[in-house]
Amino acid sequence: MSRTPPNTGIVRLHTPSDIAPAAPIGLFRRLLRSRLSVISLLVFALIVLLAAFGPVVYTQSATRPDYAAINAIPSAEHILGTDNLGRDTLARLLSGLRVSLIVALYVETLNILLGATLGLLAGYYGGILDVLVTRVADILFAFPGLLLAILVTAIFGSSVTEQFGGIGRLMLVAGSLSLVSWPLMARLVRSQVLVLREQEFVTAARSLGATHQRMILRHIIPNVGGIIIVASTLDVASVVVNEAVLSLLGLGIQPPDPSIGKMITDAIPYLETNAWQVFFPSAALMLIVLTVSFLGDGLREASDPQAR
Amino acid sequence: MLRLILRRFISLPFVILSVTFLTFIVSYLAPGDPILALMGNQRDPEIYARLRTLYGLDLPWYQQYGEYLGGLLQGDLGLSFRFAQRPVIELIQGGLPVSFGLGLTALSLSVLIGIPLGLVAALYHNTPAERLIMALILALYAIPSFVLIPILQWINYQVYLATGWSLPAAGWGRPEHWVMPVVVLSAASLGYIARVTRSSVREVLEQDFIRTARAKGLPERRVRWTHMFRNAALPILTVIGPAIAFLVTGAFVVESLFSIPGIGFLSVQAIQQRDYPVIQGTTVILALSVVLMNLVTDLLYSVVDPRVRLEG
Repeated sequence: MSRTPPNTGIVRLHTPSDIAPAAPIGLFRRLLRSRLSVISLLVFALIVLLAAFGPVVYTQSATRPDYAAINAIPSAEHILGTDNLGRDTLARLLSGLRVSLIVALYVETLNILLGATLGLLAGYYGGILDVLVTRVADILFAFPGLLLAILVTAIFGSSVTEQFGGIGRLMLVAGSLSLVSWPLMARLVRSQVLVLREQEFVTAARSLGATHQRMILRHIIPNVGGIIIVASTLDVASVVVNEAVLSLLGLGIQPPDPSIGKMITDAIPYLETNAWQVFFPSAALMLIVLTVSFLGDGLREASDPQAR
Repeated sequence: MLRLILRRFISLPFVILSVTFLTFIVSYLAPGDPILALMGNQRDPEIYARLRTLYGLDLPWYQQYGEYLGGLLQGDLGLSFRFAQRPVIELIQGGLPVSFGLGLTALSLSVLIGIPLGLVAALYHNTPAERLIMALILALYAIPSFVLIPILQWINYQVYLATGWSLPAAGWGRPEHWVMPVVVLSAASLGYIARVTRSSVREVLEQDFIRTARAKGLPERRVRWTHMFRNAALPILTVIGPAIAFLVTGAFVVESLFSIPGIGFLSVQAIQQRDYPVIQGTTVILALSVVLMNLVTDLLYSVVDPRVRLEG
């Protein structure tokens, strides 16, 4: 049964006429024409810089408690205040952001290496490979939402932490989250390649005797590159939220190391005395979600030939 | 039509088998010896052997999976490690009505509000009404449930300070316990449903047959209800699948933050206590109920849209 997925506004699925032979440089230049995209890009870049260099510049410890300042409101000493154990909120926020963004980077790398590649090969070669990839994706789709990621991190979490420490846990979280997103990417790329395969220029290239390698590298990849970039950018928003969910369920980054999701839920009981502790991490998280979605939308418009 | 239903039902066992197998194999590969963990400081080899047999862990993996499947068919999901070796199915049966009740209420609420919102946004294109609704949709998209919960509780607290009356912050049992969890659960899927409705309606409004209907002088009401909405309704149906997926993930967060004794809370407790049979059981039950609901949606879709029937 074939059916067209609905146009959801945020992740729009491309119809054949949307396919953009967009070179990355041109894509980027066109992106900068939209003011919202430029602002989002700047804010997101700022968040990345804060996460990367913030802990170097701001040297307060993220885990050491300051018993003289428990649940403190923002002050000169603790710029964003402290949590219920007297730990500095800004320091925790900065390293929490770092965790969120590293997980997002890992997941999108896996998404492209695994999801996009498998989708491309399945769509291009068809046959048994196609059946296999589609079937595996279908099985993974049967698990609603984060269920599979929750199962995998719940079962392997503690032993991975014991053996490989915090970094291992981070990789496990990223790996299990990519179980949720790579099938989507594979399906998207596959359907795009199936459409491309029927286009005249592909037939022309084939009749000129192009090898499979040349076909994929010169004709297919340049034409699906745009949607892969758009889809992985948009996916960052859900990965950041999903990582927070895993952490607040106790499955992600382990305390005392900070994670945005855990910071928010840990601060909820103290809402009445110090709402700042909920506000700052929530605002940071929403800022990431919004800027990334605006960026993704901007990229999609920039790669859409009809909008040029 | 009949062929389509048959084909869907033939692929159903395959999906169920793969879902149960994947869940089983992940739990089977769980590192560490669960029986040793269960026994704590006790090191009696005889008890160890007896417990291993009780949980069926002395069998090779394919036999374990066979037993597991056989049990599943009879509604037996094994024994819990923690809750005094109670059957997992008993624990799940306790939580299932709560989670289903919450999920269904939230889903109906988000459909009842989301579809009219999307319709209004599409019909009043480029008006303040549309901009307002789009801003709401964007806000709902950007505010995850675990951020919405503290926002609501903060408002609740302010109301309490002003009037001396408030909703309970957590707990279960009385009708007022439903209000906040249902609002939080429906928020995410509400925004999604409104968004899909709006774009689906806008897409239909740009079609030629709408222009034709208007050109031949049909009253606008007829154009909207007969020509537009009936065609726009088809893609809207597909949101129910993703909306249910939102609800399942939402249930974990909402139930554990509000201490609601549903399946999500049960799983989170099982995760913290490394009660693998319970984690495995809740995963299988949730995945299977979603597989079944997706099947119903697909069938409904082909009933409503004759084109799907032809292609099927």
